[in-house]
Amino acid sequence: MTTLGNRPARGLRQRGTQGNGKVKADPVEAGVRWLDVRLGVAKGGRVFLDKIFPDHWSFLLGEIALYSFVILIVTGIWLSLFFNASTAEVIYHGAYAPLRGVKVSAAYASTIDISFGVRSGMVIRQMHHWAADVVLGSIAVHMCRVFFTGAYRKPREANWIIGVTLLTLGLANGFIGYSLPDDLVSGTGIRLVFSFLLSMPVVGSYLGFFIFGGNYPGDGSLIPRFFILHVLVLPLVILGLITAHLTLLVRQKHTQFPGKGRTEHNVVGTPMYPAFIAKTTGYLFMIAGVLWALGGLVQINPIWQFGPYAPYKISYAVQPDWYMGWLDGALRIMPSWEFASFGHTIPFEVFLPAIVFPGICFGVFYAWPFLEAWLTGDRADHNLLDRPRDKPRRTALGAAALAFFFTLFSASSTDVLANFFQISLNSVLWFFRFATVLVPVVVFFVTWRLCLDLALTPHSGKRKRTNVVTRSATGEYATTPSDDRPGDGHHELEPTPVPVFIDVGDRAEPVGADLGSGVRRIPRR
Amino acid sequence: MREAGRGRGSGRVIRWLGPGLVVSGVALAGLLGSGALAGASPSHQAARSQAAPSQAAGPPISYSLPPDSYVAPGKVLFEANCSSCHGTDAYGSDRAPNLVGVGAATVDFWVSTGRMPLAGSAIQAVRKPPRFTRTETLQIAAYVASLAPVTPNAPSIPAVSTSVAGQADGLDLFVLDCAACHTVTGAGDALADGYFAPSLHVATKTQVAEAIRTGPGNMPRFGPGELSDKQVADVVSYVTGVIQQPDNGGGLGIGGIGPVAEGFVALLVGIGGLMLIAFWLGERA
Repeated sequence: MTTLGNRPARGLRQRGTQGNGKVKADPVEAGVRWLDVRLGVAKGGRVFLDKIFPDHWSFLLGEIALYSFVILIVTGIWLSLFFNASTAEVIYHGAYAPLRGVKVSAAYASTIDISFGVRSGMVIRQMHHWAADVVLGSIAVHMCRVFFTGAYRKPREANWIIGVTLLTLGLANGFIGYSLPDDLVSGTGIRLVFSFLLSMPVVGSYLGFFIFGGNYPGDGSLIPRFFILHVLVLPLVILGLITAHLTLLVRQKHTQFPGKGRTEHNVVGTPMYPAFIAKTTGYLFMIAGVLWALGGLVQINPIWQFGPYAPYKISYAVQPDWYMGWLDGALRIMPSWEFASFGHTIPFEVFLPAIVFPGICFGVFYAWPFLEAWLTGDRADHNLLDRPRDKPRRTALGAAALAFFFTLFSASSTDVLANFFQISLNSVLWFFRFATVLVPVVVFFVTWRLCLDLALTPHSGKRKRTNVVTRSATGEYATTPSDDRPGDGHHELEPTPVPVFIDVGDRAEPVGADLGSGVRRIPRR
Repeated sequence: MREAGRGRGSGRVIRWLGPGLVVSGVALAGLLGSGALAGASPSHQAARSQAAPSQAAGPPISYSLPPDSYVAPGKVLFEANCSSCHGTDAYGSDRAPNLVGVGAATVDFWVSTGRMPLAGSAIQAVRKPPRFTRTETLQIAAYVASLAPVTPNAPSIPAVSTSVAGQADGLDLFVLDCAACHTVTGAGDALADGYFAPSLHVATKTQVAEAIRTGPGNMPRFGPGELSDKQVADVVSYVTGVIQQPDNGGGLGIGGIGPVAEGFVALLVGIGGLMLIAFWLGERA
């Protein structure tokens, strides 16, 4: 680090003063210099522009979450300009004819107005909802990548914990946002939440009355409270945690898969500038494009078809958004057990699946890096990732957990499955009770066996090359393997010389010494 | 060295124009799609408001029996097609219920929806193409209705006029009385032990009214004490006007079954598509 706070970086100075010291009139450079002299941006900027990103596609999964969240914020700010977070009763007189004259809450009426009365409101609202569905899905796949490659191991436990917290807050904010329009389907979800709170021993009733402002459905304060949580409190906390997540990522540097020239002590990949910034910005626009296309083409949560919520009304076939499906599934397949004695009732059929079960799940998520270190005795630093097949027990366990959650998720649609396949709902229910226990066990052993077998067969991941059989004029047959198909094999990337306008000082290793055709690499510390 | 470094950098940026074009393409598709659909929805609204109440007089539902001349041919049809289970005089058997006193509407509902005659020993009769013509159906209904007097519990065949019906009242009643089984979008859903609430998307006005008034199968019967004729017409109007022609102003309706279908789209199209893009991007450095 040669840059001091009050003077420009050496690299910038070198580039700015050419030959006889005459300053070139480059407006960008002048602007950066202006900022650097006053704020010392060169130092932080250099760390940012120098940040190395390993070239593996799975490292982009977290960016889906990041950029979907950006879309959520932008569309969410827009929606908040039109949404009226109030349960005050109004008579609907908007663009949707079948509801005219119906008494609805102001929240519901304003959501319908966003959909039908505000220019491009439907697209923005649907983009927001699709982005919410996608952001949680991308957190899940990102978490899978981190889990199966062991990226959470020392020294990155803190970032794993931040990630799990982001998942939890994302689930909570997704559910709250889903409830805000005050329609029949989401209102059913809120009713369930009140029951979840009540099912807790001792504190349940107090907690429920506190949050809802009285006995269900409360005094109308729930929607305004949810609104502030949804648009202010939770997004701020999430934003702060994302900042911490990324700061730690830059501070600790990326993990990387083992490969030529890659060690525990360096990072090989593409620098932020010029290559990766183009890649990641392009990805932002592609994510925005996909969400925009979904928002414009595929209908999501048509609340005008559901009608306004009233506590005495209910619809069948009500599911939560997909990311709450595993909890809904657990609730559905739970046998109706309860504890009733000593003047108290604890409804286990609600308390266990709705409170205890998610508590255990998130507890295990949080504790996993430490649990694994304790189980394996491995307390060393790890900057190189594992290939999943090389860690059969972890991979099998992860696959079993995925199978478990997927079975519960599927159990959330028992009624839809029974109706679609025209089988008895009771059979479907019993099927899932067994499947939830059996499927993960089967998946565990199958995955474990697969990993062991794959470990014994080198190159088994590669695609086979076609054998081309040719016949000569004399009738002689010859077999020759075809050329590599495009995309076969991973070619080592071209080395990138360190851009000279960034002063790397003592941080760079000499490029290409033992690396051959490696990519740019920098030491970790 | 310096110039070489810069040259390389800009070359890399230029290579990134390809993805940039893809971005614009996808974004443009979204824009066009949304524009087209947003443009389509006002016409929906206009069509619907034209169908809204006009002040035509007349009762919301008129009940009528088929003419007496239908009774004799109806008896022949009944004995040929129904009596093997329901008995020669419609008194029922150990396989099928007594039909004396059920009224013309009940018979019309079961036969016109194709549920009767039964195809096999299913737990619940399913809708299928009707076996009889409209006249034959009315003849069978006339014969069964002739076996007992008409009462509010054994109504005649309703003809519904939705000209004075209110869809807003219909929505209110539908959510209160129907959505708990048929779902709020009328898609239908499974009940316990193999029973199910059927989809309402193909029912006619008369069939909806008949089902409400007679309560076929597991469905409760809503007599004149529970719902007035006006209220039945409101529900009929909502079912045939809104549920059967939903306003999918947001795009593809994907089945009208809510978050299950939406979750599949979000995971397969959203996450799956973005992972494919990541895979494609990740190979490029």
